[in-house]
Amino acid sequence: MIRSLCCMFVLVIAACWSVPATLLAADDTVCIQCHGGLDGRLAAPVAEWRTSIHAANSISCHDCHGGDPTDFAMAMSPERGFIGVPEYTEVPDFCGRCHVGVAAEYKAGAHGKAIEKGGAQCVVCHGNHSVQRASLSLINEESCSRCHPYERAALIKLSLVETDTIVKGVEQDIDRLYRLGFAVDEMKGSLFNQRNRFHSIFHEVDVERVRQETAGVQSELGKISKQVAAIDSTLGERKLWGSVVIGLFILVGVIFLLVRKAYEEEEKG
Amino acid sequence: MQPIKWLVDFIDVRLGVKDLFTRELQGYLLPRNVNVWYTLGAVLMALFSLQILTGILLLMFYVPDSEKAFASVQYIVNDVPYGWLFRMLHAIGANVIVIALLMHMLSVLFMGSYKGRREFTWLTGFIIFNLTMGLCLTGYLLPWSQLSFWATTVATDAAGAIPVVGDYLVEFLRGGSTVGNQTLGRFFALHVVGMPLVLLGLIGVHLFCVKRRGISSPPFGTGYRISEELPFFEHEKHPGGIPFFPNYFVKDAAVICFFLAFMLAIIFYAPGMFFPEAAFQPADPFLTPPHIKPEWYFLWAYQTLKIFPSEIIGLGVQGAFMTFLALLPFIDRGPERRPAKRPLFVTCYVLGILLFVAISIWGHYS
Repeated sequence: MIRSLCCMFVLVIAACWSVPATLLAADDTVCIQCHGGLDGRLAAPVAEWRTSIHAANSISCHDCHGGDPTDFAMAMSPERGFIGVPEYTEVPDFCGRCHVGVAAEYKAGAHGKAIEKGGAQCVVCHGNHSVQRASLSLINEESCSRCHPYERAALIKLSLVETDTIVKGVEQDIDRLYRLGFAVDEMKGSLFNQRNRFHSIFHEVDVERVRQETAGVQSELGKISKQVAAIDSTLGERKLWGSVVIGLFILVGVIFLLVRKAYEEEEKG
Repeated sequence: MQPIKWLVDFIDVRLGVKDLFTRELQGYLLPRNVNVWYTLGAVLMALFSLQILTGILLLMFYVPDSEKAFASVQYIVNDVPYGWLFRMLHAIGANVIVIALLMHMLSVLFMGSYKGRREFTWLTGFIIFNLTMGLCLTGYLLPWSQLSFWATTVATDAAGAIPVVGDYLVEFLRGGSTVGNQTLGRFFALHVVGMPLVLLGLIGVHLFCVKRRGISSPPFGTGYRISEELPFFEHEKHPGGIPFFPNYFVKDAAVICFFLAFMLAIIFYAPGMFFPEAAFQPADPFLTPPHIKPEWYFLWAYQTLKIFPSEIIGLGVQGAFMTFLALLPFIDRGPERRPAKRPLFVTCYVLGILLFVAISIWGHYS
């Protein structure tokens, strides 16, 4: 009896000790503890990662590099799935394990097709450990000019920024109507689809195709904007009629007060 | 006009309504110095009537089921002709009623109108005020939004701080350990049947008390006189006063019009004033929204619970304050009603209002 109780105790302790990696806090891994205490090149990734979108979403070292984040001795063991630093050409597949759709779009584009000849891969534009939320600001003269002239990228950015502004405007309009109690689920769904379609051309480098796709997205967004405009028009009508009724109530109220004034004079007399 | 005259005569011959009208409305004399604050009773009756009317219209489409309640409110607002207007009139009307009730109570306090053997009038009015708060609380849950769900969870949770019976009370209020379909069912029944019936009865008693004892004169001007403490009943008359109808009725009607204009102005120009974002999200028991706050008129109570180290002390302070307010006519027995002659009372009155506003603002930003 005592022996079996002892066994159970040991099992419980062991179970508690071997916390599954998924339950660990992102910055509570042995990777962070060890590299955070080092100096120089080996410590740099920790500080960079802390500023990243990955850290903000609790994506930690082992989520990309593999290994065992709970065991100092086996943290970097290939037996525990440690990958380490991928080769230059392996990076798209390395990131593409999570960013599946984006990886496919990248590979289909000119950058992806030219990777064997040194074409830009993910970290060239997005950075590695300090990766930020992707935005159109990543397309800029300084960055693109490292590899090729900026002119074509500038034309692509122009189309993307124009569409992005429309997407954000529609998003704000829908949010405004939502805050007024309107049923906007259908419009939200439509916007979601168009936003995804728009994001799918972010890795496209064919100017004409980008223009065609953004034109298609803008046309669909235009349909949502028409629905928004129709609701706004209804709201305008309501406000107009509401103002008339408010005015009438004030007018009737003032008339009643004037009648009361007449009564007051009568009461004094 | 002939058919109307015929109908009035037809009814009058059988019920004597013309005589009743002359005696009770034209013959009902009010003090000559009656002021605008005396219109708030009529304003409240108009607003309560509007709540009943819009409530009935909402009831035709609302479904008191946690699976369907939110969708039914969405349907009312988006698909039912003028449903948005009925819903806004009902929801914003509730807030305007609380404003009018507070103004009515504060004016009665300031003018000492609860004095002169009017304890029953004050007491029934005070219960009406609390019942209205209850109607607001129960009505808040019905849209079954995130705001409804979590505000009700927090409000009912406070009852758990009461020693011994706290946990039972929470379970009784909710109909279970957590807010759910059973809570919605009982709140719905209370909101549409139980409380309105009691409220109507109490309004009747309140009006009876006002009419039977006689309306008090404003404690201002040369006509002011201290009412004597008599050992027998006496109706306070106002000989030489002004007839209620039509002389004062037109002032009631004017203020009602201004209140309705104010309410419509909120509906058309600031519809989101009383609706935070959580009011548009369906209830999710597994997702607590950040910064959930009660309605503005419960903020003082919410913050009071947080000020004190334990909730039971906070509840005790609230209970003591409300009991004091309810029993004020029995405590404040002095016959003087002129504010200038009651410096201690006026000081407490002003400080009380400032404290209420300050704690509410603190509660809003805490």
